[in-house]
Parts: sequence; C-alpha cells; structure tokens
Amino acid sequence: MPLFTLVLWGLATLLTLLLLGRSIALSQYREFPCFFLYLAVNLCQTAVGLVLYQGYGFGSSFAYPIIWTTQGIVVVARALAAAEVCHQVLGSYKGIWALAARVLALSGVLVLSLSLYFGRRSYHVGIITLEISLEAGIATCIAGLFLFARYYQIRVQPATGLVGLGLGLLSCFKILNDLVFERFLKINGVSWNYASSFSFVGILLIWTWALRQPVAARLTEPKLKSALVYANLIPQVNRQLAELNEQLTQLWHVESPKS
Amino acid sequence: MSAAFFVIAVIGTLSLAGLLIWALRGASHRKTNDPRINVFESAPRHLRNMAQIRQAMDSRDLQYAEAKGGPHLSARIRRERRQVTLLYLAAIRRDFEQSLRVARVVAALSPEVSGSQEYERLRLSVVFRSRFYVIKLCLHLGNVAQPQILALGQMSTSLAMQMEETMARLGERAALAAELALQSDR
Repeated sequence: MPLFTLVLWGLATLLTLLLLGRSIALSQYREFPCFFLYLAVNLCQTAVGLVLYQGYGFGSSFAYPIIWTTQGIVVVARALAAAEVCHQVLGSYKGIWALAARVLALSGVLVLSLSLYFGRRSYHVGIITLEISLEAGIATCIAGLFLFARYYQIRVQPATGLVGLGLGLLSCFKILNDLVFERFLKINGVSWNYASSFSFVGILLIWTWALRQPVAARLTEPKLKSALVYANLIPQVNRQLAELNEQLTQLWHVESPKS
Repeated sequence: MSAAFFVIAVIGTLSLAGLLIWALRGASHRKTNDPRINVFESAPRHLRNMAQIRQAMDSRDLQYAEAKGGPHLSARIRRERRQVTLLYLAAIRRDFEQSLRVARVVAALSPEVSGSQEYERLRLSVVFRSRFYVIKLCLHLGNVAQPQILALGQMSTSLAMQMEETMARLGERAALAAELALQSDR
C-alpha cells in the first residue's frame, strides 16, 4: 500500500480516535449518540479496509464486495447522524418539526430516486450510483434543515451546526469523488482513495473544532407564551395586515371617479 | 455515465455545498426568538403617503398636466410618478414581509401550529411575491391590471385570518391548561 495513503488513513484514524476519546471522557456522546456511533462504525471500516487492502491489494475481487458492504453500513450510520442533527435543531419546535420532518424525508427520498433514475446508465457500477444517491439524499436533508432554521429564524447551536455542515459537506465531497471516479475510470483506485481520505481528514478537523468545548452551550428551550401574550399580539398583527390590505386596494382604485 | 448527468450532478453538488454554507451562516448568526417579539415595533409606516400616491396615479391629473403643459411635460411627470409608485410598492412589500416575519416568530414559539398551516402560509407568501413581481413588471410597462392587485390584498387578509384562527386555538388550549392546573392545586 502506498505510503501517502497510509499516512492519510493514519491521520484520519488518529483524529477519529481523538474525537471518540474526548466524547467518552467528556460525555459528549450523550449529546450526539448517533454521530459518535457513525464515527465508531467508520473506524471499524478503516480497520477492515486496512487488513483487506494490506492482505489482498486494491484490485482484489475478494476485498471489493466486503469494502463496499461496509461502506453501505457507514452511509446508513451517517444518515442516522444527519437525522439526529435535524432533530436537535428543530425538535423543540413541535409545530415546525412536524412539517420539517416530512419535507426533509420527502426531499431526501426524492433526490435519492432521481439520482438512481438519472444514473441508471451506469448500473454496471451500480454500487457507486447507489452511494451517490444516498449521499445526495443526506446532503439535501442537511441543506433543507438549515433553510428551515433560517426561514423560521431559529438559531442553530454552533457545535450542532458545524457537525451538520461537516456531514453535508462530506456527502458533497463523496458525490464529487464518485462522479469523477466513475466518469474517468482511468484514474486508479489509489488516486481516488487520496481524494476521499483527504476530504475526510478536512471534515474531521471541522468536527474536532466544533466539539472543542467539553459541553456545548445549550440554547434556551423555546416556551409557548401565555394566552394573554398571544391575545395581545394577534390584534396587532391583524391590524397591520388589514392596513396593508387596505393600502393595496386603495392604491389601485385610483382609476375610479373620485367621490 | 452520460456527460449531461455528470455535468448536472457536479453543478448540483457544488450548488448544494454552497447552499449548506449560506443557509448555516444565516441560521447561526441569528439571535434566539425573543418572546417580546420586537418585530411589532415597525408597524406599517407608509399609510400616511396614501393620498399623494393616489393623486400621482390619477389619470385625470396627468390629462390635466398634458392639457396645460403639453405631451413632453406629461411624459416626464408620468415617468417620475411611476418611479415614486414603484418605491411605494416596494415599501408595501416590506410591510408585508414584516407581517410574515411576525407570523414566523409566532409559529416558532408555538408547539401547536400544524404542518398544514405552515405549508399554507409558505404557499401564500410565495404566491404573494410572485404576483408582486408580475404587478411590478406591469407597472414598469405602464399597464396595471386591477384584479391582480386585488388578489394581493386578498392574500393579506387570508394570512391575517389564518393567524387569528391559530392564535384563538392556542389561547383556548392555554386557558384550559391553566384551569386544569388551578383545579389540581385545590
């Protein structure tokens, strides 16, 4: 196995171990259980990959199905981590969450289906098409989550936001990586692995930065205001909208004769 | 893999990555929702200019200017007044956006708001904006269809009614909860 590949894998493993170790020492895993589960699964995949590639080489037909099967498990674990981030951001806002969960799930499935459909010509490397589709679904969900938060002016906790951003960007990198690999098959497996490992190390650095605090600062939970507050608020809103409506109507009635 | 799929997928992925960063920047820089909802501080401020705008858009006023000052002066006045009306229309839109912002804050603070209501509000705002741009374009072209504007007004009313309904339901539930709490204390 090339030395640079080993260095990259070693670095990624070191950073993952660092994150996992910190999570156990500082009980951060309680806040992001699925995310740390994903990191653990990813670590296991690295170990399996290392053993297989060292023993059989990159071109081995024996290693290929095993590695891609583990990759499938990793992608599913990442999807769970993404769902966890979505719930952490919007879960407290029950009304909005009810809508967001449906919309995000639908968007993810739609993107997955579209990717599978439009990438059908490349079914000979079907596993890559499937990975592209799954990654596209994850990235779409995360982007949709941030759009929801932006629209409803919900502040995203920095650590949660960066964990989500990392998951989304990693999916985008993986899509680009797979696309380029599939399109230009002349690129050998080693080069492909460089790009993949390099992007993963970058994302791990983002996560390390995001989780640098022992316990992430908690945002105050949103609380429904009393009926009195709402009773005071709504007449103001209605008056405002009624005035606006009247304004618009009057503006375009100028053609009629003045009384 | 076809070249078209490759190009679309690459552009789509890069756009998605950009969207991720842009949306997160917007979301993480916001303050938490303030229960005092200071969004009410800026109520519609453009109502006081209504009379002048009506006057500016009155065709008889322009006819009078043409009769007294000639077509050149009339054309200049029309152009200038159109600019003023466009600015006014933009101000009305800002007021509408402000009202929608209030609705969003109320929704965020309310665990009782249903998904269908949120979808309806989103749809309403999208339709409002799209029609607004059509009207703006018509105004640029010097041709404004009254029914389009009336539709905009109806949307404002619809939004207000929708909010009133939600708030009434929230109020009922909160009152019931308070009553139950009082009964359990006795």
